[in-house]
Amino acid sequence: MAESLLEVRDLHTVFATKHGEVKAVDGVSFEINPGETLGIVGESGSGKSVTAMSVMRLQRPGKIVSGKVMFRGRDLTKVSETEMREIRGQEIAMIFQDPMTSLNPVFRTGWQVAEPVRLHHGWDKARAMSVAVSMLGKVGIPSPAARARDYPHQFSGGMRQRAMIAMGLTTTPKVLIADEPTTALDVTIQAQILDLLRHVNRDFGTATILITHNLGVVAGMCERVIVMYAGRVVESGPTVDVFAHPKHPYTWSLLRSIPRLDAERHEPLKPIDGLPPDLIELPPGCAFHPRCQFKVDRCTRDVPALKLVGETQLAACWVTQSGVEL
Amino acid sequence: MLGQTPATEIQLPSTAFEGESNRPAQSYWNESWERLRANRIGMAAGVLILILGAIALAAPLFSQFLTHYQYDRIDLLSTFQTPGHPHLLGTDDLGRDTLTRLIYGGRVTLGIAFLTVALSLTLGTTVGLVTGYYGGWIDDILMRFVDMVLSIPAIFLFILMSILFHPTPITLAMIIASVGWGGVARLVRGEVLSVKQREFMVATKSVGARDVRLIVRHLLPNVLPVLIVAASLGVGQIILIEAALDFLGLGIQPPTASWGNMLTNSESYFFHSVWLVIFPGVTIFVTVLASNLFGNAVRDAFDPRLKTH
Repeated sequence: MAESLLEVRDLHTVFATKHGEVKAVDGVSFEINPGETLGIVGESGSGKSVTAMSVMRLQRPGKIVSGKVMFRGRDLTKVSETEMREIRGQEIAMIFQDPMTSLNPVFRTGWQVAEPVRLHHGWDKARAMSVAVSMLGKVGIPSPAARARDYPHQFSGGMRQRAMIAMGLTTTPKVLIADEPTTALDVTIQAQILDLLRHVNRDFGTATILITHNLGVVAGMCERVIVMYAGRVVESGPTVDVFAHPKHPYTWSLLRSIPRLDAERHEPLKPIDGLPPDLIELPPGCAFHPRCQFKVDRCTRDVPALKLVGETQLAACWVTQSGVEL
Repeated sequence: MLGQTPATEIQLPSTAFEGESNRPAQSYWNESWERLRANRIGMAAGVLILILGAIALAAPLFSQFLTHYQYDRIDLLSTFQTPGHPHLLGTDDLGRDTLTRLIYGGRVTLGIAFLTVALSLTLGTTVGLVTGYYGGWIDDILMRFVDMVLSIPAIFLFILMSILFHPTPITLAMIIASVGWGGVARLVRGEVLSVKQREFMVATKSVGARDVRLIVRHLLPNVLPVLIVAASLGVGQIILIEAALDFLGLGIQPPTASWGNMLTNSESYFFHSVWLVIFPGVTIFVTVLASNLFGNAVRDAFDPRLKTH
């Protein structure tokens, strides 16, 4: 099989705190190929964002303690800061959750959208500005030449997120990491931004990593999905398979906790009982076992590894690995 | 290798918005300037300071064409002249013309005030930016040093340094700034700590900006409002400190005139030559009041923490 565009292998990122080491990312592996869209889902604190930040080496004050991030033949955890700066914004771009705060309030939007090409291609102001303006137009900002002279506070939330996407795309990066790009936006704008990301992925061939806690977004956007729990990947595979036949009790519970059009009308939604575990002291064995309805003895002792449970679907669960259907 | 299309050749779908808006871009600076201009008292105070500065700069012209005296010309035959003719504001115990000395004193006093503000802002901002941005040991060392400087009574440090270094206007500015920068460093550091948490800092880093760019191009403009406020409020304070040092005989030495040293000894003449107290005293009072009024107006206009929207 050809080498993946970006491959994360057994990544561990920790945060030192007074109370101990928080294992925010605890052995995460995944890969993404050109033009693909990968979803990373999980609840708050499951390590999705830290994983993304670690790929960009922006995880400070966290520390990558082991693992590899292979990108076009280089291990990003090992390259120098200078090389990393070349990659950031040029090869891998990132979009953040809150468009209200991710633009610098004191600069005109166009100036900021132009910043990556000025940094990476060393273009003069006029040339960088013309790219910024054309990019703002492409992401659906009306009269972009005029709006480029506006300050961020004159933009709506949706427009700011479009501006962020434009900024990410000016250098035609190979990978776009979108960290909860729609969480702070209202529903109609969410749909527009997702639509835009879908077009970016299709038309620019940009591989997209979409981080979200919204399963609906993943279903609509991603070919493959990885599900994270307590800093570990618990399930991964083609979105269709994972959603239709979840092989990890956590995924199964997540899917049952959201409303579905095809479910019985009066069937109540089932929240997942209990709380996510303490990341300093994970429960022994499978981190999900205290909340799991299917647990067996072994779950409380040994940590299950990700294993093939279908054609391309992986799950880290002793129960389903032994052939039991959820 | 990936068969990507150049960014400029692709048309993404756009969503229809309402038509083009014609309202001009209102920058933070424009808005603040508008707010400042609307503050009449503040603007009047600012204009007054400008006029005082202009008079001080043009001091030789005034001495040649208005008062016809040199500021350091001693005339023992006409000591303690009352205001009027030929000395518009009278003369002092050595027969020197008070108005000429006031105008020349303005050069020294205002010059020291602005130089001190410039020095303490430059040093304080640099230290504040570096400590706030990097944190860690550099923050510990520099900020503990600031704590130390600020916990010694300032007047003691001023007196000590005035004895050690001969106070010329430039050394005096350096002496006052050597204590004043600590407060600025604290202020800037606090502001940096809050600004650097904002997502645009990570976002800027994520497009490949280096630290210097992050600090100078992105952090500094965001702490500039606080600096402007600190600078304009600082001028009045420094004039007072400088006047106090001069009055105590620790600052600028006669025959060089400063508003502060014009007051030295004048308390002994309070009853028979009250103008020697009143003119420099009122000048200091009015200038400091104007600086404070202007400083407050600037703060109301520029301080982002006071903004209501």
